[in-house]
Amino acid sequence: MTQLSISHVGKTYADGTEALRDIQVRANEGEIVAILGGSGCGKTTLLRLVAGLDTPSAGTIAVGGETIAGTHPAISAVFQEPRLLPWLKVGANIAFGGQRLEATERQRRAEALIERIGLAGYGGRWPRDLSGGQSQRVAIARALIGHPGVLLLDEPFSALDPFTRSSLHELVLGLWAELKPTILMVTHDVDEAVTLADRIVVMKPRPGRVHESMTVDLPRPRDRLTSAFEMMKRRVLRTIDRSLDAERPPAARPAGPGGASPWL
Amino acid sequence: MKPIGLVIPVALGLIWEGAVQYGVASGRLMPPPSLLLHATVALARSGELWSHVTATMARIGLGFLFGAAAGTAMGVLNGASPFMRQLLDPTIQALRAIPSLAWVPLFILWLGIFETSKLALIAMGVFFPVYLGVLSAIQGVDRKLIEVGRVFGLTPMGIALRITGPAVLPAWIAALRTGLGLGFMFVVAAELMGASEGLGYLLLDGQQMGRADSILVAMIVFALLGKACDSILVAIGVPLLRWQDTVRARL
Ligand SMILES: Nc1ncnc2c1ncn2[C@@H]1O[C@H](COP(=O)(O)OP(=O)(O)OP(=O)(O)O)[C@@H](O)[C@H]1O
Ligand SMILES: [Mg+2]
Repeated sequence: MTQLSISHVGKTYADGTEALRDIQVRANEGEIVAILGGSGCGKTTLLRLVAGLDTPSAGTIAVGGETIAGTHPAISAVFQEPRLLPWLKVGANIAFGGQRLEATERQRRAEALIERIGLAGYGGRWPRDLSGGQSQRVAIARALIGHPGVLLLDEPFSALDPFTRSSLHELVLGLWAELKPTILMVTHDVDEAVTLADRIVVMKPRPGRVHESMTVDLPRPRDRLTSAFEMMKRRVLRTIDRSLDAERPPAARPAGPGGASPWL
Repeated sequence: MKPIGLVIPVALGLIWEGAVQYGVASGRLMPPPSLLLHATVALARSGELWSHVTATMARIGLGFLFGAAAGTAMGVLNGASPFMRQLLDPTIQALRAIPSLAWVPLFILWLGIFETSKLALIAMGVFFPVYLGVLSAIQGVDRKLIEVGRVFGLTPMGIALRITGPAVLPAWIAALRTGLGLGFMFVVAAELMGASEGLGYLLLDGQQMGRADSILVAMIVFALLGKACDSILVAIGVPLLRWQDTVRARL
């Protein structure tokens, strides 16, 4: 019962910035939805609203049919930076995500997760001794230890190199297959969205709105080298193109259908 | 410390010792090391040194305790509540602008010449750096880590204890060390303004009796005590701050 629905959500900050307008996104139980959009189109704002770290100015957000007000036990998050607590060792940082668990169960899951994320033997280390990719693995484990119904990912891979990024994609997909949380993720990487998501929501900025939502109908595990994958990517790129066109005044639009976007 | 750091003090001591031995200088105003050692042993034998040391340490200890407790409590209060900060901080800052020693006459008038006014002076010296350190550390806690606490379901009290607390700890210990240093400064001032025992009294007595050796003994003991107390604070702090990358650079 952990379907996520964001209905008619708007957010205007105290300084008058309208970051989001009338956002409608729905993620079914166990689905991965990727929000794709350029910088400043309100992706982080949207995730913060769902996480309960900020309140919408309009509309409602519901988890499993229950409208949320503030943080919710079923919703967990991985941020753009690992945000590990530097005074807790790696094992304790993972366990920190399981506040609501009973202590022995928390311990048991933390130990299992350390192995699962490929950091066996690192439980007693300080976060300062981890690489960026390892830190983000720990952050993912911390977010999943409580078996959340909804997992929010705010570009958690954007600071990583392509090798590390692919291995983290695999990790997230593996854990997702085991625990089946509903995932709402934010990214500006088309490849990443097509690799991970069941559905892609393309946003456009000023104010942030949903431009188009599309289903990714590719079987898993997905192979980036297939033509189906390429076609899907192209479809997404075209949609982004159109969302940018819609932003430009009519005179500036490229003439004819074949006009390649200068942005891509 | 490398042994090379000892070269200059030892050389100066030896030169001075030689100068006095061979009659180049009298050593009356600046006694050589051998005389200082002699004076220290004499003061220690008679038990006088210990009574001065205990008197001074009792004042520092109590004054530090009160000042640090008040500074921490006020820093936490004003750090936790913007309302309290707006209400109280301007007054505290205004009081801080008064050089602490300027309070001495008023303290003596209000609290008498004996222990209470001395403790008040020391406590005040400790209060301000601790207050400022705690307040600015609380205000500087990374909002992003607080959000982690919120997402994972900590209550505001849980966030205070498990996020803000550990995050503020290094700055708190640093502030306590600064406060302790000021406490030592103010205990000298307090004892100079009139006391019948204490290392500050030994200083004053040495000046009045023309005993440069007691003055120097008091100064050296002050240095040793100050260093020892600071090392105790550091020793308490180190195991709590092992997570810091900079533990050695900061302590
Ligand atoms: N606390 C705030 N107060 C005022 N305006 C804000 C605040 N946070 C974000 N904004 C504004 O809201 C808009 C959306 O910001 P947001 O951080 O959600 O974008 P984003 O899509 O996550 O961008 P990026 O890809 O660069 O992370 C921006 O115009 C930003 O300046
Ligand atoms: Mg963002």
